[in-house]
Amino acid sequence: MTRIGLLGVAHLHVDAYIANLRAAGADVVGVTDADPVRGRQWAARYGVSWFDDPDALLAAGVDGVVVCSETSRHRPLVEAAARSGVAVLCEKPLATTAEDSAAVVEACRTAGVPLMTAFPMRFSPVMRDGVAEARSGRLGRVLSAVGVNQGQLPMAERSWFVDPTLSGGGALIDHVVHLTDILRWLLGADPVEVYAVANRILHGQVVGVETGGLVVLTFADGTFASIDSSWSRPERYPTWGGMALELVCERGVLSLDAFSQFLTVYGGREGDLAWPAWGSDPNQGLVDEFLAVCSRGIDPSVDGEDGHVATLVALAALESARTGRPVPLDAARSTQTR
Amino acid sequence: MTPLRIGIVGSGFMGGVHAEAWRAAGSPVTSVLTRPGGSGAELASRHGARLTEDWDAFLDGVDVVDLCTPTHVHAEQALRAARAGRAVVVEKPLARTAAQAQDLVETCEALGVPLLVGHVLRFFPEYARAKEVVDRGDIGTPAVLRLSRNRSLPAKDGDSWFLDDAKSGGLVLDLMIHDLDYAQWVAGPVTSVYARSIRGSRPDADVDHAVALLRHADGAITHLEASWAHPPAVFRTYLEIAGTAGLLQSDSDRTAAVRPALRDPSPDDAVPLPGSPMSRSPFEAQMRHLLDVLAGDAEPVVTPREALAAVRAAEAAVESIRTGRPVLLPLEEGAR
Repeated sequence: MTRIGLLGVAHLHVDAYIANLRAAGADVVGVTDADPVRGRQWAARYGVSWFDDPDALLAAGVDGVVVCSETSRHRPLVEAAARSGVAVLCEKPLATTAEDSAAVVEACRTAGVPLMTAFPMRFSPVMRDGVAEARSGRLGRVLSAVGVNQGQLPMAERSWFVDPTLSGGGALIDHVVHLTDILRWLLGADPVEVYAVANRILHGQVVGVETGGLVVLTFADGTFASIDSSWSRPERYPTWGGMALELVCERGVLSLDAFSQFLTVYGGREGDLAWPAWGSDPNQGLVDEFLAVCSRGIDPSVDGEDGHVATLVALAALESARTGRPVPLDAARSTQTR
Repeated sequence: MTPLRIGIVGSGFMGGVHAEAWRAAGSPVTSVLTRPGGSGAELASRHGARLTEDWDAFLDGVDVVDLCTPTHVHAEQALRAARAGRAVVVEKPLARTAAQAQDLVETCEALGVPLLVGHVLRFFPEYARAKEVVDRGDIGTPAVLRLSRNRSLPAKDGDSWFLDDAKSGGLVLDLMIHDLDYAQWVAGPVTSVYARSIRGSRPDADVDHAVALLRHADGAITHLEASWAHPPAVFRTYLEIAGTAGLLQSDSDRTAAVRPALRDPSPDDAVPLPGSPMSRSPFEAQMRHLLDVLAGDAEPVVTPREALAAVRAAEAAVESIRTGRPVLLPLEEGAR
């Protein structure tokens, strides 16, 4: 049985991962968190052993850790795990600064431990089929893409998402990384420039970070892609948000909607309108692969470098929104050495 | 009151659409100006209108000049009509360049001649209703707008003015301008435009598709998409306005009420588009409104300054596509 430790319960995805880990037959050894009140409550709720600090949990003997702390706290946790020689699955974005993000990747590389970034959409069957279709060549080259990954204000679940010192920013830092990663995967290239606009009109009375964000990524061959990462889905929207991508290609158009697989229910117990999803759970694929990384030593299909580049793109979007200018992304900013 | 005498210049596709709309609005076209050897004869006879090839004779016989001509001649022809004291209706875009548009607007203001611009999107019922819903406060303050207009390249002859960017202004000035105008109508003047297009960034590809990000003076941001890159039989429009109190969406894929699908379309047939028929077409609604304006019973829904602002924003998008940089628009010019 693969032994897994949970480093932090700040990120709401940990609520899903615990179920995914158990479904996959992993042994969840324990959990720790910077906030013992929150952490103990979470441990009791999910029936996981509580540890007072990360070192104690690592000393208990684990094969891998899942880092779900606040983004600004990823780095010391990953570094501790790397020192212990265990595999790491780290939530996105990797960090709130380029320096910390690079350090996260470097710590694992130096220690020789696998680092996987939690990009579950790589494991979405919709995205997998869509990327395969786009790469099959049937539609010709991809010329342009329009992506949306809007959501609700995540504050209802976890308030630190709107605290810039812990999260690094708002709507741009939260969701831009997902479609950035999908586009890098699909196009096999990194963006070379990022332009973004942002505002704080939605929920402006409640939070101090950007809640509206629109981004355009440009690639070296001229391909451009837009991403709408706004927290523009209202509180009473039938679901958390969504992700869709439309690709304009030489010989046609390819539309992908990762969350269109739901029923529509009117007047049921869930409210006047509900969208119970029947699509596959991408988180399960992510967790299954991470367990294989831990137990069988396979290379993760989405690694720390992928997480780092996506983090740089999100940080560049924040910078562009602040300065009003496109921000170039040069290869030197990457940690890439392969 | 004697009915207005309406003359059309330009007897192509849009000239025919406008003539039908004037008739439906109860004020049929009375004159058609055509080039020597032009296609105006058929339009004139269909509407029982006088046909002429002479500008002065044409102007003598009309009260209103409706320009449905290629974009690059709008300004020159509108100035000619305005200087003759005729009310001017111009199909969008107002002019090929912002400088031409500004000159035209200022001249018509100085002459006291009505200048009415056919931004017909404002009369499409879903777009008009969305504006009403926003103005009523139902969704609060607009924050993030998404406006898409995706279709196949209109079927035109290879030598058509429409396919010549120097004449039509291309995808941005011809198609995206609908939503550039609408975005400013709903969310106020635009202060910066950043845009990318396939034609601009991948000149080797033979399709065009453009994306633009706008900042508005009041803080809203807008994502615009205009495409001629979709396959035939696609004409999809999408409207989304996220406000502080709610989210509004309209998707033509969902609202198209008539959807022909030919089992065996002949290559010679025009591929039928899905449609949402109305008892009163948007063009008829537009012409009824213009008649009210000309009778002094209504203020124009589209002011000349707003139509100028749409051309300015389109020109900024084209410049941004060329330079790769965002283009700032001085607020006082757009909002004056």
